[in-house]
Amino acid sequence: MRATPLTSIASLAAVALLATGCGQGLLGGGDGGDTAKTNEPIVLGMLIPQSGSEAAIGPYMSNAAQLAVDEINAKGGVLGRKLELKTADDACDAQSAAAGANKLVTEGVDVSVGGYCSGATLPTLPIFGKANIPMIIPAANSQELVDQKLKHVFLINGTGTQQAAAAEKWMTKQGAKSVALMHDNTSYSKDIALRTQTLLDAPGGPDTALIEAVTPKESDYSANITNVLAKKPDFVYWTGYFQEGGLIARQLRQAGYKGSIMVGDGSVSPKLVEIAGPEAAEGVYATMTQTPDTLEGAEGWIEAYKKKFGTEPGPYSNQAYDAVRLAAEAVGKAGGTDGAKVIAALEAIDGFQMFSGPLKFTPEHTLSNGGFQILIVKDGKITLQDSLK
Amino acid sequence: MTQLIWNGLFVGSFYALVALGYSMVYGIIKLLNFAHGDLYMLGAFAGFAILGAVGGVSSSMALPVLLAVLVVTMAVTGLAGVALERIAYRPLRRAPRLSLLITAVGASFALEYGMRAAAGADPRVYPLRLGGTSLEVAGARLTLAQLVLVGVAVVLMIGLNLLVTRTREGRAMRAIALDPTTSSLMGIDVNAVISRTFFIGSALAGAAGVMAGAYYGKIDFLMGFLIGLKAFTAAVIGGIGNIPGTMLGGLVLGLLESFGTFWLGGEWRDVFAFGVLILFLTVRPTGLLGERVTERV
Repeated sequence: MRATPLTSIASLAAVALLATGCGQGLLGGGDGGDTAKTNEPIVLGMLIPQSGSEAAIGPYMSNAAQLAVDEINAKGGVLGRKLELKTADDACDAQSAAAGANKLVTEGVDVSVGGYCSGATLPTLPIFGKANIPMIIPAANSQELVDQKLKHVFLINGTGTQQAAAAEKWMTKQGAKSVALMHDNTSYSKDIALRTQTLLDAPGGPDTALIEAVTPKESDYSANITNVLAKKPDFVYWTGYFQEGGLIARQLRQAGYKGSIMVGDGSVSPKLVEIAGPEAAEGVYATMTQTPDTLEGAEGWIEAYKKKFGTEPGPYSNQAYDAVRLAAEAVGKAGGTDGAKVIAALEAIDGFQMFSGPLKFTPEHTLSNGGFQILIVKDGKITLQDSLK
Repeated sequence: MTQLIWNGLFVGSFYALVALGYSMVYGIIKLLNFAHGDLYMLGAFAGFAILGAVGGVSSSMALPVLLAVLVVTMAVTGLAGVALERIAYRPLRRAPRLSLLITAVGASFALEYGMRAAAGADPRVYPLRLGGTSLEVAGARLTLAQLVLVGVAVVLMIGLNLLVTRTREGRAMRAIALDPTTSSLMGIDVNAVISRTFFIGSALAGAAGVMAGAYYGKIDFLMGFLIGLKAFTAAVIGGIGNIPGTMLGGLVLGLLESFGTFWLGGEWRDVFAFGVLILFLTVRPTGLLGERVTERV
């Protein structure tokens, strides 16, 4: 366990919260039954990476979730009860995630609105399931999460299958002939690469030149790039995260590659452009679900976020924000925090407005419309290229 | 083929620079300094901070400015290495070997997460970067910046080797490696020499950190972890405690990775490189140019 000072402060705070929570519970016990609960806040739990390799993502998500909580509370909360957000660190690591999930369960979380790394989210599914806590997963989107077919798990990010389909569609549209797929061997990244390969294998359209796996967290990918370029592809699709994505785009260009480069949704971040450098990043495509930047009417939201936290929203800020709003909506519709009722309310939702468009879950609890679109880096900014409608 | 060799040599020269610190410290006090990779990270951040303080630099001045930053950073990380030794390792020098090892791991985490607390978890990007045009030499594509970096690495390594083999200071280091107690009886200030060893080793790691920052651009608080592991491997392949061996080990590891990726594909690269490591340890545990064991006895 890597216990950082930060997490120990957080757990201290959590203990303090727990203590006060118990106090209320004891006092409220006298009133008997449900009436006591009506004064208690509805607790939303969020597992996100706050330490470890993906620690940069954590604040983007928890800030946005807090923004949604504050907005809803300012309007009087849900069913007269306030919302409260509790976060725990999953360090993008299965063991820490399980520990964090157990901590949230003991803290009396009503709905889970976290989950970024698919590999870390997977082991938390049964933990929340046993406690009868519905999960709205804002970011993690490996097909493995869907394949479990769990009743309490809802994904509001497009899935790997949907992303692969969008990628293949764009490659065909661009007239690509030979595609190199690069992934970082993590569950999420490999999943998209393999699904894209399956689609490319179908007759017609572009073919797969090779699949190349890289080791994440390194600086030099020249050996992988030499491999890729030996196959002379005219399209390279990187399905991992932005830290490596930026380096790979830069090193591809340095090695003299002239074809198209596309990256997956984990790589969509202003940091990608910064790491690659403006010249190498120019013209890089990305498959991505709707972001605040590509959605009309989101300017106010970005302003509110900036005003509150002093930074720009980042990847998955909007999904985290939506997860909280959706949780509030479902609890409101269910008339309480009973797990089964909230799940039924989530299944019944039709047309709830989110950044990704009106929401209706498929029987598999994924978005009926993945909403993937193609972005492009233009003058150093990531903008919409094609909404693939 | 030449491209593969060049890729391997370029990466390998980074491994070698970092591995030298590992090897020197191990050679002298038999400590595996697991925080060494984090001194590389510290060097990258120190260089980043200095460049930020200097402000905007025109691209024609990039190289001289970077070289100046390199020198300052080497001093900074060198002192950090000395402080690390003074605080974390010296009080435990007579403790069981295991305590030292655990302290080293603790020091590594302290540096990593200390940097995260100070600089944040987001990766940073160097304001000044060596890109430059690439040229073709014998079928391999390489850039001027790469040549300069390899040149700097080679100069540093030659300088180190001269220091160890030709100077009084170097003789004192070698003497302590053989027998610290007798060395102190002969009037060598053991603590001072060990401090200076840490200074040199850490300065080299810091230099590698700045070079990586300037060439690759991206730095983050965990960047030292993997390269620390690789440098350790390189040191073992070459013969830990042996300076020319360690340099050779770095280059060999770089080449192994480059060819492993080519022959077996990216996902098998580490399996290949570390498989060779295991083979080395079973067939030739002292490494390529392992230290002469007879001298120890």
